[in-house]
Amino acid sequence: MIETQRLSKLYSRGLHALQDLSLTVDKGEFVFLTGPSGAGKSTLLRLLLMQERPSEGEILVNGHNLNALSRRDIQEYRRGIGFIFQDFKLISTRTVLENITFVLEVLGMPEAQQRRKAFQVLKWVGLQHRMNAYPRELSGGEQQRVALARALVNDPYLVLADEPTGNLDPDLSLEIMNLLREVNAGGTTVVVATHDRELIRLIGRRIITLDQGRVVEGA
Amino acid sequence: MRTVRYAFHEAGVSLWRSRGSATFAVLAITLAMLVLGSLLLVTSNVERLLARWTTAAEFSVYLHDDATSEQRGAIEVAIDQSGVAAAREYVSKTDALTRFRREFVDLATLTDGFDDNPFPASVEVRVVPAAERDGRAGDAVTRLLRMPGVADVRYDREWLARLAGGLNAVRGAGIALVMLMGVAAAVTVASVVRLGLHGRRDELEVMQLVGSPLSFIRGPFVAEGIIQGGAGALLALLLLWLGFQSAIAWWGSDLSTILDGTTVAFLAPGFCALVVAGGMAVGAIGGFAASRHAV
Repeated sequence: MIETQRLSKLYSRGLHALQDLSLTVDKGEFVFLTGPSGAGKSTLLRLLLMQERPSEGEILVNGHNLNALSRRDIQEYRRGIGFIFQDFKLISTRTVLENITFVLEVLGMPEAQQRRKAFQVLKWVGLQHRMNAYPRELSGGEQQRVALARALVNDPYLVLADEPTGNLDPDLSLEIMNLLREVNAGGTTVVVATHDRELIRLIGRRIITLDQGRVVEGA
Repeated sequence: MRTVRYAFHEAGVSLWRSRGSATFAVLAITLAMLVLGSLLLVTSNVERLLARWTTAAEFSVYLHDDATSEQRGAIEVAIDQSGVAAAREYVSKTDALTRFRREFVDLATLTDGFDDNPFPASVEVRVVPAAERDGRAGDAVTRLLRMPGVADVRYDREWLARLAGGLNAVRGAGIALVMLMGVAAAVTVASVVRLGLHGRRDELEVMQLVGSPLSFIRGPFVAEGIIQGGAGALLALLLLWLGFQSAIAWWGSDLSTILDGTTVAFLAPGFCALVVAGGMAVGAIGGFAASRHAV
């Protein structure tokens, strides 16, 4: 599903966020990316989501060579990927339901289908009763569940999560991780960047450890 | 269709949110389109006047005082055979003097002291409009100038050509001014649309991350520009029409005299459509330029 070959990301002033990084993630795997702050976890996810381009090396995702994608191709590629961030990235001026239907709207789905699909996924994360609430009226755990619902509403083959539990207490963190485990059980590949070792231990999946932009364990 | 509907809906919401600055952009487009509309209004009326004068074009073949009746007859035959004359009239020296005294009453006394009549005899030719347009009249004039007995030929096409040339110069300068103002208006629209872009920053980020098509991301900004441009152009047409009606009410008879009886007309529907399309195009360019900052 994911293969990186001698991947490097060099920022200005000579800062190497990733160096000569080669790793493989198989289809249907659940993988934790871990390591200390500045290890390169978020940079790798940004490269996988094509928010940035690598300085050197190649990334292959589901058969796509990401270096070769045009701006238009990137948008098409992203339609198969669900993303979750630590800060949720919900649209504050839209309700919970609208945050989900918005994704389907901009992808061109008919309105009746948008509401049905959004309701289904909200029900799955247990937030159907809060669908008319605004993000500011929700707890952190609820906001992250909305973000998860939004990530999944388009049936992605890959979910990328960058510190999804960074703003949550341990119980809520476990709740989010269990939902991601369910997603993975359905065949979706899941990559979670976190430095929460206790959570990783509880979930017990494959771990790739990064340090100073290099893989030190689990490639 | 869904993309267009979405674009215009979002554009409407954004315009309402930033209505103060949007008004400023609309006024900038109004100004540019007002100049375009005024230019079209002036040039279209002057062109109609020129066309009218062109259809009434004449030339006069002046004869030497010693031209014989045979030479005059040959000249008249040449005119008839050229096919450029709708009508011709021989004006003798005496007729020319009489006409001068009648048409220039204040100067008539000047001619009292003449020992001899200084006015030449002539043949006045009313030109067929088609011959004026296709240049046959000009060729006939050249041939007539070489004929015995001909002193000169005065053809009013030259000053018509000079007037048409002047009109082209005015049109060129006007188009340059319109383009300059169009660019300024497009920059204003782009700035206003970019202000709206900051208000939607979080939505745009999500749209990019979920893989929304570029047309969905950029469409609302272009639509915003089109709406501003269309509104500005319609406002310009309204102001132009009000200005036109006021000018007719105040100086209608004077204008009619200046324009030799030609009725001054407002812009034809095609030109009005051109002004609106121009405004929308300027707005769309500004909106598209702003949208490039969104992705």
